[in-house]
Amino acid sequence: MEMSGEYSIDAPIAEVWAALNDIEILKVCIPGCEELEQVSETEMTAKVALKIGPVKARFNGVVTFENITPPEGYSIVGEGQGGVAGFAKGGADVRLVEDGDKTVLTYQAKAQVGGKIAQLGSRLIKSTAAKLADKFFKNFRDALVAEVASA
Amino acid sequence: MTEVSMTVNGKPVKADVPDNTLLVQFIRENLRLTGTHVGCDTSQCGACVVHLNGKAVKSCATLAVAANGADVTTIEGLANGEMHPMQTAFKENHGLQCGFCTPGMIMTATDMVARYDANGKELTEAAIREELEGNICRCTGYHNIVKAIADGASKMASS
Amino acid sequence: MSEGIGARVLRKEDKRFLIGKGRYTDDIIEQNQAYAAFVRSPHAHAIVKSIDASAAEAMDGVVAVLNGAGLTGDGIGNIICGWGVTSKDGSPMNMGAWSALATDKVRYVGDAVAIVIADSIDQARLAAEAVEVDYEALPVVVQSDAALEDGAPQIHENAPNNLIFDWEIGEEDATDTALAGAAYTTEMDIVNNRLSPNAMEPRAAIATFNEADDHYTLYTTSQNPHVARLVLSAFYNVAPEHKLRVIAPDVGGGFGSKIYIYPEEIACLWASMKTNRSVKWTSDRTEAFLTDAHGRDHITHAKIGFDKDHKIVGLKVDTKANLGAYMSLFSSATPTYLYATLLSGQYNIANIHCNVKAVYTNTVPVDAYRGAGRPEASYVMERMMETAAREMGVSPTELRRKNFVQEFPHQTPVIMAYDSGDFAANQDQAMKAADYADFEARRTEAASRGKLRGIGFSNYIEACGIAPSAAVGSLGAGVGLWESAEVRVNPVGTIEVLTGSHSHGQGHETTFAQIVAERFGLPTENIQIVHGDTDKVQFGMGTYGSRSGAVGMSAIVKAMDKVEAKVKKIGAHVLEASEDDIIIEDGAVKVKGTDKQMLWHEVGLAAYTAHNIPEGMEPGLKETSFYDPSNFTFPAGCYICEVEVDPETGTTEIVQFVASDDFGTIINPMIVEGQVHGGIAQGIGQALLEGVVYDDSGQLLSASYMDYTMPRADDLPSYSVHHQSTECPGNPLGMKGCGEAGAIGSPPAVINAITDAIGNNDLSMPATPAKVWAAIQAASAKQAAE
Ligand code: FES
Ligand code: FES
Repeated sequence: MEMSGEYSIDAPIAEVWAALNDIEILKVCIPGCEELEQVSETEMTAKVALKIGPVKARFNGVVTFENITPPEGYSIVGEGQGGVAGFAKGGADVRLVEDGDKTVLTYQAKAQVGGKIAQLGSRLIKSTAAKLADKFFKNFRDALVAEVASA
Repeated sequence: MTEVSMTVNGKPVKADVPDNTLLVQFIRENLRLTGTHVGCDTSQCGACVVHLNGKAVKSCATLAVAANGADVTTIEGLANGEMHPMQTAFKENHGLQCGFCTPGMIMTATDMVARYDANGKELTEAAIREELEGNICRCTGYHNIVKAIADGASKMASS
Repeated sequence: MSEGIGARVLRKEDKRFLIGKGRYTDDIIEQNQAYAAFVRSPHAHAIVKSIDASAAEAMDGVVAVLNGAGLTGDGIGNIICGWGVTSKDGSPMNMGAWSALATDKVRYVGDAVAIVIADSIDQARLAAEAVEVDYEALPVVVQSDAALEDGAPQIHENAPNNLIFDWEIGEEDATDTALAGAAYTTEMDIVNNRLSPNAMEPRAAIATFNEADDHYTLYTTSQNPHVARLVLSAFYNVAPEHKLRVIAPDVGGGFGSKIYIYPEEIACLWASMKTNRSVKWTSDRTEAFLTDAHGRDHITHAKIGFDKDHKIVGLKVDTKANLGAYMSLFSSATPTYLYATLLSGQYNIANIHCNVKAVYTNTVPVDAYRGAGRPEASYVMERMMETAAREMGVSPTELRRKNFVQEFPHQTPVIMAYDSGDFAANQDQAMKAADYADFEARRTEAASRGKLRGIGFSNYIEACGIAPSAAVGSLGAGVGLWESAEVRVNPVGTIEVLTGSHSHGQGHETTFAQIVAERFGLPTENIQIVHGDTDKVQFGMGTYGSRSGAVGMSAIVKAMDKVEAKVKKIGAHVLEASEDDIIIEDGAVKVKGTDKQMLWHEVGLAAYTAHNIPEGMEPGLKETSFYDPSNFTFPAGCYICEVEVDPETGTTEIVQFVASDDFGTIINPMIVEGQVHGGIAQGIGQALLEGVVYDDSGQLLSASYMDYTMPRADDLPSYSVHHQSTECPGNPLGMKGCGEAGAIGSPPAVINAITDAIGNNDLSMPATPAKVWAAIQAASAKQAAE
């Protein structure tokens, strides 16, 4: 399934780009994120707890950054194993465009799930995934704006 | 673990069970009353229907602790020395084949008849079919189940 | 005789089910019982790189975590398909290896990788979640046509292009010539949707290894416990046959899905030996959707030709059959010998050719499901006939009638030799019951209410009484398909019948007792039917293919013949009469024309005391028969479905469903009607509601009752069921079989009715409101354009 969105963020592009690469910010913004650790320049490991439809799952996964072009954007590719709940994999292209002293963030994401989540939650996945993506970028905008305000 | 106690088929029962124990597990595993069946994992087939304080519930969608203190009737408790009129009606109308859905069907049916009776409504064929929305039978094609329930309703009325 | 043949005897087995005392596999608890949970692949196609069970093994209550390497290491054999089908080029079918627990590769979502044994079911499930399997995902293919394309993912090494076999039947050249010379032809693409059987009792197994005797006991949800034992022992090397007892207690429906021996039974037996515990596994519904063999899934192109008088001159059919990721026990026979051999339908067709390609895909194995091949054949044939009638502008009933086979025996060009039938009589009966003459008035009346009313026909024929052993052996079957019975008259005159048939809803305990009651003039309450236990019953091939009447009961008749012969000898001896003058009636052995008699129990007693039996006669009164049928039987009939479609929503309501069946002799009409009702419901389910959905990555999206639409009471009508029978000449009771007819005959009737109502023939199953609505829109757009 495919998702996309656009957010206007009240912060200059350099700060948005920095935040997109700040693991502490990402960690608080990812819905259900329990752990996020940098293992190399472009690789992180993550633990995320999610509920999709009737299925609860804790995903252990690896997230990598690709096509990094500061400060215009990058692609994130991830894959998580949720035990018997199944697996999820996907990726997102994130683009930043300067808009005066604001920044417009757009993303295009693709996701695929397997196992019990697909079997029991299939009708709910699309809306859940869209909601989660939206939640992440909203959290991200709010966290960033809050940080800019407090700085 | 939580201690639950309830009355099942007129007998007081009590056990320590994990909090997440479903009523159907309690009935089948702890009490060894295996007439109540499990046919699905999404509360949609009705094989597990029992009466909780006189009302039909899906025991796979009820926690045992939620039935604490309640009065539970299972298929084993329905007959009272001789078969309940609804049980007789299922037999006489060939309303069962493999028998797996049957306990749930009968518990649903007796509840249905009682409710319609209490509300003074007529239990038509269409109403029976609609009321069976939560009970799946793969064998009978429902034709004889519907007939059996209508017949059971009149048997219950005259008994 | 009120309880004999033809009587609507209420079922003897009902009481235990009605009072909650049925005994299904999951109701049984063995001493020292542990619980199994399976670790299943979430990927449709992947290499299993490693399995780490250390965390799981350390968890509370975990007894063992066992995997495929251990299983194959202990010599447990691969799961096999028991019917060898040969490709048209003479090569054998390409059967890929199927280990009960995957070793190197998983090939469908749900493929078992490991079995976890623990003290409680919750502990087993939790530990199964903790088993870490490292998969390397591979490309996936789920549709049979896509799987055959060049470059498609390869599922088994020994099946290039995923082709299992490329089989044909009939004369291709003659058929092509006939079609080339036809005055009219009709061509169609026809898809037979994939179904999940959904017996309401999920599969279950309890395996117990007894170390002291080196002996195994398996309780399992099986339609054929002896076949299970044979295969488990001869092919899977789980235990030698005499050290393995298989019991199929009460079984909550089967519909074919409980014929097969699945990985779980094998793994539980093996795990019981490894852990020295009884090992119990009960499927949940999601697992059932993922692992029970599915049914149907054909993609077909067909062409039929008629001469200028509308007589059929030829039929050519090309089918791709999706067999899933592995070949299940009868999977090869279903789309070949149970399908293409019925493509002559009820019609006289000189030239038929059918080509079937069987294909591997990354989906659960596909095998026989109620009807098995015959619903697919009748769907092709009856959709074609109705469509051809519309295209030629003739009456669909007249077109059929003109082409009916009328003389018997009738040899079709596709193996089957029909032995009896009166197809026109069934059609007449159904048309009368449906008040066809008045249909147009009903259509007009419905139109005045804004509803589209349509009527559809289906004249099905099927082959049951499966099957003459030598015949099926010559076609590749790995077993004989006879049946056995033992009739045991006790010293007090009560009777036990031990049968190799298995009842999982069919009412054998009643029907079988009725034929014994009829023969000896005894009440059915004195007759007990014993089945489902390999330690009790001599042997048996089990219940499927509507064979328990025509084959199972014939075996009982043959055993009763032997009992009768012995009883007559004893009677003649004791009553000092000639054997020819002895008759058996009303529970007594009598000397014709006199008042001399022995009561039935006196005969039993005489046989067992052996104080006064003919010289040289062995004591006792117990006879066995192994009955091998001489031909298939051919139930047939005419189904009429009448629908009303709401053009606003595309919703279909079945307003009338009429069946007229020819089942030969009917023992218990009540039970037979029940079988027809259930079959029709499954057929209507297929036509309107049911369909298995895999996404492109092989994820099963229809894995619960939220997404797989089971027919419910308010989706279905009451049925108008009638019989118009011709006796089957092939077996002693004249029976044909009734278990599958409903599921075979009904889908084309429903689709023919809807397409008639909406005026668009382009409609596939399941005909959901969305599809029907779209078809209505397409039809009106086309009309507007014209
Ligand atoms: S088991 Fe309770 S509804 Fe299916
Ligand atoms: S009788 Fe078998 S499911 Fe209803």
